[in-house]
Amino acid sequence: MDDGGGCELSARPGPPALARERTPTGVKIQIIALRHEYRADDGRQLLALDGVSFDVSENEVVTVVGPSGCGKSTLIHIIAGLVRPSAGEVWVDGQPVRRPGRDRGVVFQELAILPWRTVRRNIGHGLEIARVPREEREKIVDRYIELVGLRGFEDRYPHELSGGMKQRVAVARTLAADPKVILMDEPFAAVDAQTRITLQQELLRISVLTMKTILFVTHSVDEAVFLGDRVMVLTRRPGRVKESVSVPLPRAQRSWDAVNRDPRFLAVRDHVLQSVRAEVAS
Amino acid sequence: MKRGDSWLGVLPFVALVAAWWVASHSGRFSAGALPRPESVLAAARELASTGELQADVLASLGRLVLGAGASVLLGAGLGILAGLNRFLGDLLLPLASFFSAVSGIAWIPLAIMWFGLGTVAVTFVIWNSIFFLVFFNTVLGVRSVPRIMEQAVRTLGGGHRVLVLQVFLPGALPYIVSGIRTGLGFGWRALIAAELIAATSGLGFLIFDASHYFRTDRILVGIGGIGILWTLMDGAILGPLERRTVKRWGTVAEP
Amino acid sequence: MSARSQPGPALLARERPAGVGPGPGPTLPASLRALVRSSLPFLLLLAVWWAATTALHPRATVLPSPAAAARAAGPLIAEGILPDYATASLKRIAFGGGLAIALGVPAGLLLGSNRLLSVAFTPFLKFFQSLSGIAWLPMVLVWFGFTERTIQVVILYTALFPIVFNTMTGLRTVPPRLADGLRALGAGRWRLVTDVWLPGALPSIIVGIRLGIAYGWRALIAGEMVVGAGGIGFLLFQSRSFQQTARIIDGMVVIGLLWIFLDAGFLRPLERYTVERWGLVQR
Repeated sequence: MDDGGGCELSARPGPPALARERTPTGVKIQIIALRHEYRADDGRQLLALDGVSFDVSENEVVTVVGPSGCGKSTLIHIIAGLVRPSAGEVWVDGQPVRRPGRDRGVVFQELAILPWRTVRRNIGHGLEIARVPREEREKIVDRYIELVGLRGFEDRYPHELSGGMKQRVAVARTLAADPKVILMDEPFAAVDAQTRITLQQELLRISVLTMKTILFVTHSVDEAVFLGDRVMVLTRRPGRVKESVSVPLPRAQRSWDAVNRDPRFLAVRDHVLQSVRAEVAS
Repeated sequence: MKRGDSWLGVLPFVALVAAWWVASHSGRFSAGALPRPESVLAAARELASTGELQADVLASLGRLVLGAGASVLLGAGLGILAGLNRFLGDLLLPLASFFSAVSGIAWIPLAIMWFGLGTVAVTFVIWNSIFFLVFFNTVLGVRSVPRIMEQAVRTLGGGHRVLVLQVFLPGALPYIVSGIRTGLGFGWRALIAAELIAATSGLGFLIFDASHYFRTDRILVGIGGIGILWTLMDGAILGPLERRTVKRWGTVAEP
Repeated sequence: MSARSQPGPALLARERPAGVGPGPGPTLPASLRALVRSSLPFLLLLAVWWAATTALHPRATVLPSPAAAARAAGPLIAEGILPDYATASLKRIAFGGGLAIALGVPAGLLLGSNRLLSVAFTPFLKFFQSLSGIAWLPMVLVWFGFTERTIQVVILYTALFPIVFNTMTGLRTVPPRLADGLRALGAGRWRLVTDVWLPGALPSIIVGIRLGIAYGWRALIAGEMVVGAGGIGFLLFQSRSFQQTARIIDGMVVIGLLWIFLDAGFLRPLERYTVERWGLVQR
């Protein structure tokens, strides 16, 4: 079950060489004409995504926002390799996506950390699977425990943590595995409003600090504009890219206090809000 | 339950022994129908001095460990396989549910036909009364593991081995443990019944053999041994197993 | 604590049959299709059994063919042995089980009504539950001989303890604030029992009854084997003495069918009409 090796093998014949040329330098995630159809529980065929194409550059944080049911989660699942698209391609770091792999870390919407592992062992799980020697693993884990502010809770089990802390564990677990890109599927949707604001600020700080490439999916316009260098607005089902909006203020200078006083930021937020609202209403 | 209350649990036993002492000394019952507490103690000492009691305890325990061990390993192993495969699971669940309804004691005659009287037949009956329950519960347990946990570990690069050992097995554990608990309850009773009928050693045989000679004092020694042994097993194996896994993880399936 | 309910919803979500859309050709009614689906595993087992006996030719005393087992059932039914024994066993479990419920539930309620009483009796009940009626069988034989009463006592004893124990613990787990809420409305003691304590303890009582009857059923089979006063267990034991393996298997099938009948006809409806309707199901 060596995913890395499997990818290399299957990538050899045909299109890859061509496609690798096609991938512009500095582009980390490339999504080409993605289309996805699936059968719903009631047996109807549904078109979730149709003709979605966009790139995410290195060190860039791209947020995707759209009305519920527009296929945002499906998009993450496809890039993660958990779902095979009906048509189209996804390339990550010059490699075609065929199955889940260590190069793409995912933070899920629901609670996805394992209840039978302590905080420390959950965060180190990806490294453990990658057979990183214990000593090195502990060092890395310690760093991320510090980064997400879980010092003092290392040996607790998830059921002893609050919802916000559990999601911090999930973020740290993904970061510690050191993926090339990080995919986030509404990771803060299930926590209370106060905690959500804290977590957003922390993620912003971490994204600046670690310079990770992040694709972040959410239904909250505020969150999308606050966290992203760019905001992609999706249409109602079937999801298509409606527009891509650049957010003016550099991430390093943002905080909830600062952005709320910045007229350029507020203008962009209102624009995106209108755009998403038009989709919900139409 | 408050800490200091545990001594209260002794009271009903004391009351029972006192009532027994009074009744057996009242002269209304013959020593054969209701032996006196002190004669039961004497019988226990006698059985222990010849080594009979120890041999029977060991025989019963050995069969239980063998039968239960085999059924837990096989039941959990096959249960995980069947739990991961939708088709296999759907096919085997009704069978497992039927066989757990006929399991244990009903197999004693067939076990004798197959293996003759003795340890093999008894062990088979114990295996049989635990296996189907553990299997059934493991399948349900594997199916209860949230998909998202499986997906998360796959995105961390986990393959089949990692998924089975680190996601599905611990995820199914609350169900497996509850299956083992119920199964052992049935298995322990089946053991005694099987030894009554199909063995020449063990605590079940001890009490059945004593009944032929109307040695009710010895019967009560055997009965007491069965109860004490179970209490010890429950406290030494099942309790710690639950404390160290499902209770610590906060994944207990039932209160 | 919060994670306790975790297995539930996920289980439900994945238990849904995946993609049962309209298939090609005429579709069977859903109930018939469910019947076919659930009988398929048993047909498969029958096929494996048949294949094993045809391929390996084991002696009939080890494993008779399905056909031989079916043939053996003919005279058992025709001579009235099987119906008689089955009714005898069912009567015994109905009487013993019914008496255990009638005595056990009130006893459990009494013990559970007081915290100290329940603390004091917990080890006692656990100890005697683990003994089971089967262990007492030789003792009861000395008291009552090879009679109907011996079997009754064994069933009653076996079923009684799980029922008392679970009723007691069930009552202790009802949150006191439920009673406080009703007391604030002016409810009297009797109303608290019928409206709070009894329904609150019910899921646990039902668990106790199910467990008690299940243990009792097995004790019945063992008791009938030893006592020999008729019943399905006796049929099995007698057939073993005469090396009639086909009859043993028939008896086992009947035991399984009777249990399914007991479970589907009595224990499950009991659960459905009370616990599930109130949304109190624990699993």
